Amino acid sequence: MFGYVRPSLHRLSEEERRRYQALYCGLCHTLGQRCGSLSRLILNYDFTFLAALLSGDTETQRRRCIASPLRAKETACESAALDLAADVSVILTYHKVADDRIDGGFWRGQACRAAQTALGPAYRRAAALRSDLDERTRLELDRLHQLEQDRCPSLDAPADTFALLLQSAAMELEEGTQRRVLEQMLYHLGRWIYLVDAVDDLQEDSETGGYNPVALRFGLTDGTLTKEARERVGETLDASIQAMAAAYELWDFGPWSALVQATVYEGLYCVGHAVMDGTFHIAQRRGDKKELL
Amino acid sequence: MTDPYRVLNIPPTATDEEVKKAYRELARKYHPDNYNNNPLADLAQEKMKEINEAYDTITKLRSGQGGSCGTGPRRPYGGQSAYGSQSAYSWTYTSSARREENDREKSAAFRQVRAAIDRGDLSAAEHVLEIISDRGGEWYFLKGVIYCRRGWLEEGLRCCETACRLSPENMEYRQLLEQLRSRTQRAYRPVGYPPVFTTSCVDTGFCRWMLCSYCCCNCCSLCSLSHF
Repeated sequence: MFGYVRPSLHRLSEEERRRYQALYCGLCHTLGQRCGSLSRLILNYDFTFLAALLSGDTETQRRRCIASPLRAKETACESAALDLAADVSVILTYHKVADDRIDGGFWRGQACRAAQTALGPAYRRAAALRSDLDERTRLELDRLHQLEQDRCPSLDAPADTFALLLQSAAMELEEGTQRRVLEQMLYHLGRWIYLVDAVDDLQEDSETGGYNPVALRFGLTDGTLTKEARERVGETLDASIQAMAAAYELWDFGPWSALVQATVYEGLYCVGHAVMDGTFHIAQRRGDKKELL
Repeated sequence: MTDPYRVLNIPPTATDEEVKKAYRELARKYHPDNYNNNPLADLAQEKMKEINEAYDTITKLRSGQGGSCGTGPRRPYGGQSAYGSQSAYSWTYTSSARREENDREKSAAFRQVRAAIDRGDLSAAEHVLEIISDRGGEWYFLKGVIYCRRGWLEEGLRCCETACRLSPENMEYRQLLEQLRSRTQRAYRPVGYPPVFTTSCVDTGFCRWMLCSYCCCNCCSLCSLSHF
């Protein structure tokens, strides 16, 4: 859906990178098995990070897939954490697509309608298993929709809806320290993702007149950040990342510690910086090309 | 009892200097400054207590006093109660009890709000605040405290700025504003991670990230479809 949450890869050892890749593949397989092959298209790094936060020790196996039919790849085995991450991914994406369908123009609306239809069976399966999560997601997105309609000029009010929505993934865990730590991390992760996405969409929203809390808060009309807005948004993004890092230090994330550390102490800052400078998508395309070469 | 060396994450063969270094690093990590405005402050406080006890036990064992409590060597980092005391982790604003002593003329409603914040009952605090019509510095300050506790960091900062504008002489408000503005500069970072901010990302991290191939699977062109 967004794909902003990334660790600094150079901070990870070869083994840690392999484990990260195996988790990505594991989530893809879990999505396929639980929610049907089409749901695999919604996979991204944000959901993989969510899976890492929820996972403890993870076993791997070698499996082939449609993207790698000849060479079996190291893949994380099925687990309750991957199941939860897969269900959250499907529920969240389905509701987000439904929301975009209402907000978007004709063509975007048609694209969202097609995506919603394609995701329908997967969503119904996931929603039946996690009815509380589904209900919470729907409620928060309704609240967000209302704020968008009212053209709310606050950064925190709309970001809070998305933050609570992501935080609700932790509600599926048993009460205790792990849950409290994850609730805090996911709240600020959701807040950060929402605000980074708003900055990323500034240009597009200024052209289409779409709701953008950053533009409304700072009175931006041409889709670019003023110096003051840049400082202020940067400051609040930093504060959310710091809250995530402080929470991370209170729980042992086992084999995923290095990955989470490389994300909350560096990766998120770099992505936020790239989004603000408008270089995030260029870097992303460059990464894809390098992989193809 | 938990192995004190395990708590400090060092082997029992560690030198005194290594023990001090490990203690300092952990004390920096769980320092109250990192957990201000944070609903997990109690967990950090517990960690700090564990670390302080482990350090005391090790220093006492090494000085031949056994593990008993008493007047052992001082901790290298801040002394006996620098970290881990209840007040250090709580908000910088004066607690409701002291406030009552210091400022009896303040309205009962504001005291009620402070008491609710102390209890962690933010909804009650907000409810009382909403019915107060005198919206001066105190009102904006308390509103800012509630916002920050909820994770509404930008609104919290704005309210605190308004409080300072309305009552520029109030040290309590200025202290919180200063703390909110400098929180990311002063935040703990692990060894090897240089300071980095969204607006001024250091070259090393950013450039390496840019140059790193970033594809976990072979079907990134497909995955990019989902980046709507």
